[in-house]
Formats: sequence, C-alpha cells, structure tokens
Amino acid sequence: MARKILIVDDSPISRKMLKSCLPKDDDTEVHEAGDGLAGLEKFKEIGPDITFLDLTMPVMDGAQALEEMKKQNPDAVIIVATADIQVKSIERVMGLGAFLVLKKPPTRESVGDALAKADEFRGRQHGN
Amino acid sequence: MPWRRPTNSGEDSMETELPSISEEEKDTLQEIMNIAFGKAAAELAEVINIFVVLSVPYIKVLKAEDLPEYLRYEVRDFSTISIVEQNFWGKFRGGAFLVFPADAGKALITMLDAEHETTFESGSMEILEKETLMEVGNILIGACVGKITELLGDVVTYSPPTVLVENKPHDILPERLFDPEYTAIVMKTVFRFDERNVSGFLFLVTTQDSMEWIKQSLAEFLEHYE
Repeated sequence: MARKILIVDDSPISRKMLKSCLPKDDDTEVHEAGDGLAGLEKFKEIGPDITFLDLTMPVMDGAQALEEMKKQNPDAVIIVATADIQVKSIERVMGLGAFLVLKKPPTRESVGDALAKADEFRGRQHGN
Repeated sequence: MPWRRPTNSGEDSMETELPSISEEEKDTLQEIMNIAFGKAAAELAEVINIFVVLSVPYIKVLKAEDLPEYLRYEVRDFSTISIVEQNFWGKFRGGAFLVFPADAGKALITMLDAEHETTFESGSMEILEKETLMEVGNILIGACVGKITELLGDVVTYSPPTVLVENKPHDILPERLFDPEYTAIVMKTVFRFDERNVSGFLFLVTTQDSMEWIKQSLAEFLEHYE
C-alpha cells in the first residue's frame, strides 16, 4: 500500500521544493494543504503516514495545527519543516510532539534522512 | 489593508505599469526571505536571550518614486520611529531598513545590557539606544541579506549601519538610493520580540539594476527543485 505523505505549507513554492526532494522511486501518495486549518482537515480526512508541517502560516499556524493533529492521533509522525530555527521554536514544537524539525530549504539529502528516520520509527510502532 | 498607489481615477494601475516579476518568482522570493529572516532571528536569539515571533513575508514591486509613501504607509501605526539603515552592494544591491517604534530602543537596552555588560561604556541614554539598535540591526540585516545572497549565489558588501532615533515616519528616505523612474522590489517582514512586546519591520529594497540578476538567480535556485 502506498505511503501517504501530507505537506502543509502556505507557500506553493515551498511545497513544490519539498515534493521535488521526495525519493522518486517511492510508492508514495502526496497530498497538500495551504494553511494549518486546511492541513488539519486533510489530516483528519486521509490519515497520513507522515506529515510535513510548516510553522509560519496564516489562518492557523503550524504549532496550533501540530497540537490538534497530535490530539487526533498521538502516534502521528509529524515533521516540522520550517525556516524558524530558533532554539526556543524547536524546543516548543518538539514539546508539542513533533517527530523532528527539518530546516528549510530542504535538500534531497535532508528529506531522505528525515524519511528514513520516520520510516524506521513507524516500523518500530508497527512491530516490524 | 495593503498599500495602493493613489491614481487620478482612484484605481490601482501600478501592477500594469511596471516591469513585472511572475507569481512564481514572487513566491520564490517570499520563501527565500522567509528562510533568510528565520536564520537572522536564530542568530539574534543566540546573542541575546530573545524569542522572535515571525510572520509570512510580503513581496511588492513598485516604482522607486512611490517608496517613501509606501514605507510611511506601512509604519503608519508608529507615531515616531527608530530606523537602522544599511546599504548593500553586489549583484544583489539595495538598502535594508529596520524600523521600530521609537521606544523600542529603551525596551531592548535592558536585554542587551544584561547579556553584554561590558558593551556599553557611555551613560547617555541616546547613545545606549543607538548602540542597542545598531547591534540588533547589524545582526538581523547582516544575517538576512547574507542568507538571501548565499541562496542566490552572490556575495555583497555593506555600508556601515546608520541609526536614526525617534524620527517621524516621513524621515524614511531611501529615495536617495533610487532613481525615481526605476523599479524596486520591496521584501517586507514583520516581527515581534515576544518578551519585550516590541514589533518591528524589516524592509529590503532592491534597485532596478538587480532585477535581471534576481530573476536569473531565482530560476537557477528553482532548477535544484525541478
């Protein structure tokens, strides 16, 4: 079954950049949302395996969306992809249950590394 | 409400008069500004114990002659302001204007002073304010412009920063950098220092000379993501 990835970011270019860094040969289904609230709705609708979540967004910011997503599914694997790399920001989102923080701009290497860690974690979650 | 150029007919005709940048170029520049200011905020937070609340950056193309009015409009909520201004030269060329409400300097002094007790030797409040604003401006402008140019493949040199404390908003005078007939790209970000409840703006204004280079560099930047 295809792995479902949700990308939540208000910047279409940022979503495009992240998508282009996903491994090409992966059996992956990519879904997108343009703000935190739309991302939360999409999250409830599709139940993604991995979510990439920006922080600085209109309507509902990433931290709020993260909190809501974790309430929906405490086991959700949410990678915060952000330009806000202040230590306090990182500590805050890790405290809210982010799996890890991916610094922008993404690269194929950084995204591949994050996905490998996420897949390993999901494997442990499912006892594989 | 975003600033609109006043016209005789009352309509905003500006977008059709100017050499445009595409929506994709604007989005890319916005994302680059977002990354760059995030880096700048993190650098500032390393130097002083502060948390910078970021917002989504905003990009606007306008005629240089409209810059002073545009900037006055943007900071209209501040009756008096303090400005840190620094120009930069390279293929990416223009001016950076860090604008705070006038009392921000005093609010920031205690924070910087606590971190760097030996930095301030003068007892004059005005000098302390200027030194504080210059320190904050140096870090934010240098890191932000530096990251933009790094991402776009350039290196710039900077003029020494100048600080104007407690001016009226009409004292933002970037026009001396810009031929009024030219086009400028304004990259704006609004931020807030959480602990001090101080808000500010960073405007980066590039000259028309940079326009072609910016478009070319944005295309090359995006090639990595095709």
